[in-house]
Amino acid sequence: MAKHHGDGHHDGHNAFDVSSKVSEFEILELAVRELAIEKGIFSAEDHRRFAEWAEGVGPHGGSKLVAKAWSDPAFKQRLLENGTEACKEVGIDWLQPTGVGTPSDYTFFYVLENTPQVHNVIVCTLCSCYPRPVLGMSPDWYRTPSYRRRMVRRPREVLAEFGLHLPADVEVRVHDSNQKSRFMVMPMRPEGTEGWSEEQLARIVTRDTMIGVALPRADRTSDAGSLAEQAR
Amino acid sequence: MARPKFQVGDTVRIKDRTTLFHTRTQKFIRKRVGTIVEHRPEWVIPEDEAWDRMETGRKEPFYVIRFKQTELWPDYTGLAHDTLETEASESWLEAVKG
Repeated sequence: MAKHHGDGHHDGHNAFDVSSKVSEFEILELAVRELAIEKGIFSAEDHRRFAEWAEGVGPHGGSKLVAKAWSDPAFKQRLLENGTEACKEVGIDWLQPTGVGTPSDYTFFYVLENTPQVHNVIVCTLCSCYPRPVLGMSPDWYRTPSYRRRMVRRPREVLAEFGLHLPADVEVRVHDSNQKSRFMVMPMRPEGTEGWSEEQLARIVTRDTMIGVALPRADRTSDAGSLAEQAR
Repeated sequence: MARPKFQVGDTVRIKDRTTLFHTRTQKFIRKRVGTIVEHRPEWVIPEDEAWDRMETGRKEPFYVIRFKQTELWPDYTGLAHDTLETEASESWLEAVKG
């Protein structure tokens, strides 16, 4: 074995091998999907359209909701009182999110308002429940056991890993979405945004600020923005 | 629609029931004491929904329960006023006199 020592680190590190392997879950998904199509529960076309919708939805709907709520106190009230209904005002229908009749597991939507006293953050310890009609697909880290286990148990440490250090007089409130409810955080409107239009405001309401692992800033329009700034 | 047994502000303990099959009541909240902060609509409980018993499954009111983090984790490293909220159906809850 000693003569192979030099390239030992290549063992089990072949990217092409990894991508050509089909996992048990992929086989399971394919089998269930084919059965559902054969039984007429949905068509292959429905499935393709759902996948296209799910992959394309993104966090823009959520950004729009927050920007509108910051600009319009009456809308903010409606959004906090009945999130599912208020979403229709920006064109998001939770009961028919795709508009093609694909059944949805999203049932109730609630917006969590941050205040100077309370900072909200969302997690799903059981799986990866996420408000997809407003935020799109969840980021990979949101679905990892590391985030799910630790966010409920050591939220301040996890937030610090995201660069978010909250003052001691702020209550950190973790929301574990384990049932039918889906949550989104409404961050506080930052300083330096006075007089901004809804479109301008929406640009700083990034995905991470609506999960609760970051705060919006007037000079930050992307979750990757702070990294780029550091690299400069 | 069954009338919810608990009201906002009530103190409750999560039961540590046996679960042979599916449940959505996390282990880390069992036997812990929290406060009801919101009602949620009545729904088929996950223990029956898992078997697709949407018509015949047991329906129960759901509640949002707020826990002090220090109640959930004796070695909690954050601050005493930090909290966690999650939901449970009525049969998982028992009243705590307080």
